[in-house]
Amino acid sequence: MPPLPDPNAVFLNVPYDDEFQNLYIAYIVGLYQLGLVPHLASEIPSGDRRLNRIFDLIKSCRYSIHDLSRVELSVTPSAAPRFNMPLELGMTITWANLYPSRHTWFVWESEPYRLQRSASDLNGTDPYIHNGTPEGVLRQLCNALRRDRTPSVPQMLKVYRLVDSALNSILDKNGTRNPYDRSVFMDLCWLSSSLAAFPPARHSV
Amino acid sequence: MRKPIYITAPWPTHEEMVKHLRISKARKKELQVLVDEFKAKLSNQEEVTVTSIGPEKRRKRASAA
Repeated sequence: MPPLPDPNAVFLNVPYDDEFQNLYIAYIVGLYQLGLVPHLASEIPSGDRRLNRIFDLIKSCRYSIHDLSRVELSVTPSAAPRFNMPLELGMTITWANLYPSRHTWFVWESEPYRLQRSASDLNGTDPYIHNGTPEGVLRQLCNALRRDRTPSVPQMLKVYRLVDSALNSILDKNGTRNPYDRSVFMDLCWLSSSLAAFPPARHSV
Repeated sequence: MRKPIYITAPWPTHEEMVKHLRISKARKKELQVLVDEFKAKLSNQEEVTVTSIGPEKRRKRASAA
């Protein structure tokens, strides 16, 4: 039997594009607010056997969230479809089928019924629809995952706005404009986790 | 409507939440300033007036800086 996964770890399978960055921050903040720890493929140093390392990361997480809301091609001339997310979802589904008590996966989308067209083999899987908004992401995280002392969505939204307001300074400090860079992700996690450690009951809305 | 999954694992401590993050002590100190500021805003019930800005506006601000 494989080792047990971290019961609070969540593998986050999201598109790394500019338009998604607000939702990306909402996922990080929301998961920490629920006492969960997000993990991203960008945590893994690039190099040989990257796919194996991503698979190891998936296996180490009790949950995974696969956001398939960016199915459109970008407008750049050499636009290509994003295959990484469905690839990682496929790996996850296989893993969860082999060890169902060790992994639970969720699919997120921004539009209802679109998944039936973009990935019809997933018919029978109800995606969580976030409508492309940070509030929608936080709301659906609360719909998918519950635990004691879970803060309300407005409380989580307050924390999200604060963390989001710090993004520019974090990007500057790390000398990048890419919020998905490993160092930026680490800073966002540190900030979000420090605010999650704050007892939810003390900042009621 | 699907039922949410109820997480029975104990809440992790802050140390458990950040053990995988490789951040220097100096950077942690810098981030702690932000954390303290944000915690004060949350605990003082201050209205959070910071509004979320979109990526386009963020790019413009960055290029103007």
